[in-house]
Amino acid sequence: MKLYTYCFAESLNGLNNPPRGVSGAPVRLLKIDGIAVLASITNGFRPTQNDFIAHAAVVRSVFKQAKSILPFRFGQILTEPHLRNYVSRHRQAIKANFAHLRGCAEMNVRMIGTRENAPPPIVNTDKPVGPGTRFLLDKRREFRGDEWQAARRAELSEWFTEKLGQLKRDEKINVIPSDRIIIARADHLIERGRIPDYRAKMAGAIEERPEWRFMVSGPWPPYSFANIELEFGSQFGVS
Amino acid sequence: MSDFDQIIVGEEWDSSDLSLLETLDHVLNRGLVIAGEITISVADIDLIFIGLNVLVSSVETAHEVLRKRETE
Amino acid sequence: MTFSPENPQSVEPEVDTSHVEEFVEQLRCVTDTLPSRINIDAASVEQGLAKLVLTLIEFIRRLLEKQAVRRMEGGDLSPEQIEELGLALMKLEAKLQELKSQFGLDDEDLNLDLGPIGRLI
Repeated sequence: MKLYTYCFAESLNGLNNPPRGVSGAPVRLLKIDGIAVLASITNGFRPTQNDFIAHAAVVRSVFKQAKSILPFRFGQILTEPHLRNYVSRHRQAIKANFAHLRGCAEMNVRMIGTRENAPPPIVNTDKPVGPGTRFLLDKRREFRGDEWQAARRAELSEWFTEKLGQLKRDEKINVIPSDRIIIARADHLIERGRIPDYRAKMAGAIEERPEWRFMVSGPWPPYSFANIELEFGSQFGVS
Repeated sequence: MSDFDQIIVGEEWDSSDLSLLETLDHVLNRGLVIAGEITISVADIDLIFIGLNVLVSSVETAHEVLRKRETE
Repeated sequence: MTFSPENPQSVEPEVDTSHVEEFVEQLRCVTDTLPSRINIDAASVEQGLAKLVLTLIEFIRRLLEKQAVRRMEGGDLSPEQIEELGLALMKLEAKLQELKSQFGLDDEDLNLDLGPIGRLI
């Protein structure tokens, strides 16, 4: 018997109107060392899209009712002893995470565009490139990729700091390694009350870059900032 | 003129299909969501999330996008 | 080869690629000369030697790749020269890959630890 785990929550003793969980299973609340764990009993199942949606619904429900929440991504199945052990060992870190995320939601910005001051192209691609050229271009990306990725990430972070200032409590940026193009996603941790402010500031920032394409979404439960799965290694069915 | 003019511009998209796609994006470990696996149509545009969860308008991986549009 | 005594890890070997066509021709010769198979008993002493040789060739091959990329970035190669250079290096890589897999060797196996100079690859 195992526990499919949705999230940890702070100051939650019960869930009002709990949605059905994965595989239609009811959602249960366990308290471990004062920390609420939301889980369903499972013997394993083949996940379907409905299960993904159920997971999201449970997390969203807890997000609305708890003081703070650390959401799991889909697929975390643990034995009860493993779970208890984990919570006890990491109690302080979990509480610190609760504090960091309390009262906040996650906003996402996706963007695509060409860098300002992008260097000129190495190779003219008006015509399709041959396999030898393609080989060298791929090698170039292999050699320089890390450096490009770090540079793009730093530039974007700076830009967001310029546009958002103190609004962003935390930030994660995923970006493709490139010296000419930005394809990126930023996750921002924002106080719930200040989300309209965030949207307004992002709208302004977007207007300044008409050549780029943006998509802003949220608020979401803070999946990107929970930092718990790292300890659990790979989840079932996911590599 | 941008190279990326298929992408949705600027405003927040309220469509429930997009919400679903976004929801899936948050809930799933990114490795699961690869080009072609999850496709949802929104107003004639197929939206597919690639490994880095970037929104593109056709079945492409990030590397293909770069190959085609990035003059290296 | 230039070594920096203060920092023995900053080895920046350079191979003269100023005459690209000749260089490409030499790459082709090397690739063609390498055997497609090496018939050595898996458990034999010669396998150690073969590993060493493959490692050295790999090392040089990677240097050549890096140098080719730098030349490409330098902007002084014509598109045709870039294509020829890329093809030659591509074929050499494929050849080495065949030889490595014949021995069941992957990059980790080939990596020699040279002590203070660091790992070879």
